[in-house]
Amino acid sequence: MLRASPDGEAMSGSRILGLLLLAPAFVFVVLFFLAPVVLTAVFALTNMSTATGITGGAYQVTQSAMRELGERHGEQALADALARVRYTVDPAGIDAATAEGASTALVSELDRKLAGESFDSRRELERAIKALDNRPRGTRALKSLSALFERSIVNTRFATEEEFFGAVAGLGIELNATQRAALLATTYTGWTWTSENFSRMFSLPDTKRTFLNTIIYVFATLIVFNTGFALVLSIVTHYMPDRPAGIFRAIWLLPRISPPVLYVLLWKWLAWDTGFLSRILVPLGFESRNWMLDNPTNAWVFIVLINGFVGASMGMLIFSAAIKSIPVSLFYASEVDGANRWQQVRYVILPQLRWPILFITCYQSLSLLTSFEYILLATEGGPGGATKVWALAAYLTALNNYAGNLEYGYGAALALVLVVVGVILSLAYLRLFDFKSLVAPPPIEQ
Amino acid sequence: MTLPKRVCTAAIGLAMGTTAAFAADYTISVWSGGSGPNDHYRIDAISMAAELLEHEAAIRGEELNITVEGKPYDGWEEFKQGVTLSAESGTAPNIVVTSHTDIAPWAQAGLIVAAEDYVDLDSWPLNDLYENLIDIASFNGIVYGIPQDAESRPFFFWKDHMRGIGYSDADIDALPGKVEAGEYTLQNVLEDARKVQDAGLVEAGYGFYPRVSNGPDYWQFYLSFGGTIEEDGKLVFDRSAMGDFYQFFVDAVEAGVTRKNHIGTPWDQWYGEVASGKAGLWHGGTWHYARYTGREGLDDFFGNIQFTLIPAGGEGGRANTITHPLMYLITDQGDEDLEALAAELVTIASEPRINTLHAIKSAHLGIARSQSSVPLYADDRWASEATERLLPHATAQPNNVNFGQYVGIMWSGLEAAWTGQKTVADAIADAETELKATLGDNIVIR
Repeated sequence: MLRASPDGEAMSGSRILGLLLLAPAFVFVVLFFLAPVVLTAVFALTNMSTATGITGGAYQVTQSAMRELGERHGEQALADALARVRYTVDPAGIDAATAEGASTALVSELDRKLAGESFDSRRELERAIKALDNRPRGTRALKSLSALFERSIVNTRFATEEEFFGAVAGLGIELNATQRAALLATTYTGWTWTSENFSRMFSLPDTKRTFLNTIIYVFATLIVFNTGFALVLSIVTHYMPDRPAGIFRAIWLLPRISPPVLYVLLWKWLAWDTGFLSRILVPLGFESRNWMLDNPTNAWVFIVLINGFVGASMGMLIFSAAIKSIPVSLFYASEVDGANRWQQVRYVILPQLRWPILFITCYQSLSLLTSFEYILLATEGGPGGATKVWALAAYLTALNNYAGNLEYGYGAALALVLVVVGVILSLAYLRLFDFKSLVAPPPIEQ
Repeated sequence: MTLPKRVCTAAIGLAMGTTAAFAADYTISVWSGGSGPNDHYRIDAISMAAELLEHEAAIRGEELNITVEGKPYDGWEEFKQGVTLSAESGTAPNIVVTSHTDIAPWAQAGLIVAAEDYVDLDSWPLNDLYENLIDIASFNGIVYGIPQDAESRPFFFWKDHMRGIGYSDADIDALPGKVEAGEYTLQNVLEDARKVQDAGLVEAGYGFYPRVSNGPDYWQFYLSFGGTIEEDGKLVFDRSAMGDFYQFFVDAVEAGVTRKNHIGTPWDQWYGEVASGKAGLWHGGTWHYARYTGREGLDDFFGNIQFTLIPAGGEGGRANTITHPLMYLITDQGDEDLEALAAELVTIASEPRINTLHAIKSAHLGIARSQSSVPLYADDRWASEATERLLPHATAQPNNVNFGQYVGIMWSGLEAAWTGQKTVADAIADAETELKATLGDNIVIR
C-alpha cells in the first residue's frame, strides 16, 4: 500500500481541498437524492392531497364537516348549532360601522330600521341594506358593511385551534372534551398522519398487476435490449471496419437523441389504424387496427421496443469502449490458437466485460424502474391498465386527477416502494457481481 | 406590479360609499385550462373588463391601470399541477378558469376564496345567470365560482347513414323527441350502428364511435342506466347501473360496432372521421360544432348531423346530458383588495355581450338568460337550438372533494371491461373494492 506523506500540514491541506472538491457532490446528493427520499417517506405517511394542502390546514365549519360531525360522532345538535348562518344587526355591528366610516345617515337608518333583526344569510341582509335610503354605493362598500354583522362562523377559516375554539365560545356554545375532539377531527382541512396508504395499496386488486407489469417491463427491456441487444451491437460493430461501424453506431444513437414526444409520435404513426403498418397490412388481408393498443401483448411489444431502442444505445457505447480497451494482443493470441469468432467472444470479450455489464445492468434496471415517460406518451398504461407500471401509477396518483384533487400522500407511498425496491436491487446486484473483487486493488499494490 | 401598500383600505371601507376609488397600477394574472384556439375569450373577456373598469374609474376622476397577463393551457394536467403548486408556493394567478369540479378540493385547501364574499349575486349581470349554473358553482352551500361558460354533451347521428338504413327525413327529425321520451334507447343505438355497418355505409368498428378518452361524457351512460353520482352530499356507486353501463360498451365491442382498441385513438383522427361521415353514431360536446364546421371543413352541419340527448339505457334510466361549465375562480392572495378587483373583473366579463363572444366563437352555450337577446347569440342557429334542446335536461357532476378518485376508478373499470382485460362482473367487483379502500364511508355503495 502507498505510504502517507510525512508532511502532516500538506496532508491536512489536501484533505480540506478534497472535501471542498467533494462539497458540490455532497450538496447535490442531499438536495436531489436524500431530501426527496426523506420527503417521500414523510409524505407517504400522510393523507396529503390538493384538498388538504401541503403547508397545513385550517379549522373550518362547513356543511360537509357538520354532516360528518352528526353522522360519525353523533353530535347532530352541536352540528346544527354551528352550521346556523346568522347575520344580526346589533349594537356592536352598528358601532363597528361607525368606526369604519359609514355615514351618520346610514348608521342612523340602520339603527332605526334594522336594529335587532337577524338574517339567515348574508344575501338576505344585503337585500335589506340595499333597500335603505342611505344604502352604501357599490359592491365593495356593501360587502364591507354586511361583513360587520356576521354572528356565525360558518365557512370562516381559523388558523389555530385556539382561535377556532375562541370563536365557538363566542357563539355561546360550550364544548366537552369529546365534542372538542370530534370537532377538531371533522373541521380540520389539512393533512394528518396515517398508515392507511400502505394498507390501501396492499388491499387493491390492481396493485399486484401493476407490480407484475413493472417486472415484465424492467426485465424484458433490460435483458432483451439494454444489455442483450447492446452486447450484440457492440460485438458486431467491433468486427466491422471502423467507418461503417461508426455509421452503424450513430444510427442506433438516433432514438436516444430524438425528443421523446416526437420519437413516440413516430411509433404511433407506425401503429395507428390509419398508420404505416395498417397501410401495408390491409392490402394483404389484415384488418385495419391500432396495432399498439390492439391487445396487451402488442402493447408490451411496442413498449419494450420503444424503450429498448433508446436503452440499447447506451450499453452499445459502454461495451464498445470496453471492447476497444481489450489489448489487441489477446485477439491475436486467440487467433493463433485457432479460436473462431464465437470462441473469441466467449473467452476473450465477455470475461473482460463483466464490470461494464454489471454497471449497465444496475444502472438501466434502476433507471427503467423509475421511468414511465415513454409508456405515458405511447399507451398511457393501456389497454385497460395492461401496461401500467409502478412509476406511472405513482405519477398518475400524485400528479394527475380529473377533478383537481392530486393525491400526494398515496402517490408518495407508491414512490417509496420504488425507492425500497431500488435499494434492494442495488444491494443484490453488488452481491451477485461480487463488487468487492471488482474494486479490489491490483495485486501489485498489495 | 407597482401596487402601493394597501391602497384600497379606504376604498374597501365604507367612507367612500361608492365603488373603489383609487389610483393604482395592478397586474392581474389569468390562467385558463383546457383552452384551445377558439377559447381565447376566456382571457380576453378579462382584458375587456379591465378596460371598461379603467374607463369607469377615469369618469370618476381616478387613475386605474390594470395589466392583464393571460396564460392559456391546451390541456388540463399541466394546468392543474401549475395552479395547485403555484398556490402552495404563494404565486398563484389571481383568476383561474377551470372545471367546476376543482372547486371542492381547491376550496377545502383554501386556494380559492368564495366569490359570493366579493360579488353581489342580486345585481346585474350576475342576477341574470341561470340558477342551475350558480348551483354548479357552489360547494358546501357557498358560491365559489362565477360560471364562465356552459356546454352540453349530445349524441350525434350522421343523417345520410340513417337514411341509408331506412330512416325518412321525418324519422330523423323526430329522433330528438323520441330520445327525450325514452322511446329510442341505447339498445336502438347498438341496433342502428350494426345496420349502418351491415349496409356498408361505414367500416367495421365505426357504427358507434364514442369519445376516445376519459371525460364527463361517460357519466352520462351511467345516468342513462339509472345511476346516481351523488346524493345528499355523498358519492353513490350503484352496482347495477355501473354494470349496465360497462356492459353496454362491452356489447358494442362484441357486436363489432365499436373497436376494442378504440380508447386512445388520436383526437385529430377522431374529429376528422366523425365530421366527414366515417362514423354512424357517436357522442361529443356542443363545442365540437366549432371544430366540425371550422378546422374539419364540414359546410352543412344541420344538413348532415342530427343531435339529441344521450338516450336512456332502458327502463329505469333516462335520456340525459351533462353540462360541464368552466368557472372563473378567484384565488386567495391574502389581499382583499386584489381579490375584490379580480371579482369586479369577473363580474364585468360575465356581461351578456362579452360572454356571447366566447359562447359563439367556441360554440359553447351562454350563461345568462339575456344572451338569447344578444343578436350574435340569437342569430346563431347552433347556440339557440342546442340551448333549447339540451340545457333544460342538463345535470352536472358533483362538487365533491372525493369525486376525482371516483372518476379514476370508474374509468379504470370501464377501460378494463371495454378492452377485455376483465369481465364486467370482475371490473365492478374490483371498482367496488377500490372505492371502499379509497373512499371508505365517503361513498355509498348499493
